[in-house]
Amino acid sequence: METKSGQTTGMKGRKPKNVFVQGAVAASFIADSIQKHSSKTDIGGHSIFLGQVRADVINGKEVASIEYTAYEEMALEKMHTIREDIFSKYDLICMHVYHSLGKVAAGEISLFVFTSSAHRKAAIDACEETVERIKAELPVWGKEIFVDETYQWKESK
Amino acid sequence: MKTNIIVFGQLTDIIGNDKLVVNNAGDTNSLLEELKKGYPALEDSKFILAVDKKLVTENTLLNTNSTIALMPPFSGG
Repeated sequence: METKSGQTTGMKGRKPKNVFVQGAVAASFIADSIQKHSSKTDIGGHSIFLGQVRADVINGKEVASIEYTAYEEMALEKMHTIREDIFSKYDLICMHVYHSLGKVAAGEISLFVFTSSAHRKAAIDACEETVERIKAELPVWGKEIFVDETYQWKESK
Repeated sequence: MKTNIIVFGQLTDIIGNDKLVVNNAGDTNSLLEELKKGYPALEDSKFILAVDKKLVTENTLLNTNSTIALMPPFSGG
């Protein structure tokens, strides 16, 4: 079952969904996403991870924003595999993933992972594992742009 | 035979572009050899290859329609 917001249920045969959004993930978008679940009364717990751009200071220069690029086609296929794996491992009701492309300013949200289940444990564990796999497996790159407009390529920790 | 290559992350700074075309590369080993000749800085760079969106670790034959991606370590999220 799909809705306009790109929701997924735990059914088989899902197609790769777009997870990329241009620019930051807005707090109001996250709020709307939560609100939309009020009609799904089999859900008993949600888990949400929000990745936020840090204003790191590197060699005396402060990060103003991160510009994200991705090998989109490959990333969407990989995300589809991760989603399938997570749904077969955990008793989830739904999962939503949004990752920014382009510039995201320090303090803004660049990753939104949202899992829901009947009981909290599945949602919490699935959310954590999904975030870890996104970081490790999605072909996405961040370019840290400093206040003085120089840059360096981000290294994941 | 021409092979289309797409380039990501810090490798775009080395190549000076986000795509390039290499002639007469029959497999990934000869492609890498050719690239490192043209762009010596690749020798010191950490990256992996994908052929048609699949990661490859061993020498892989290329065909005319193969798309190769040069990918440095991921840093999304």
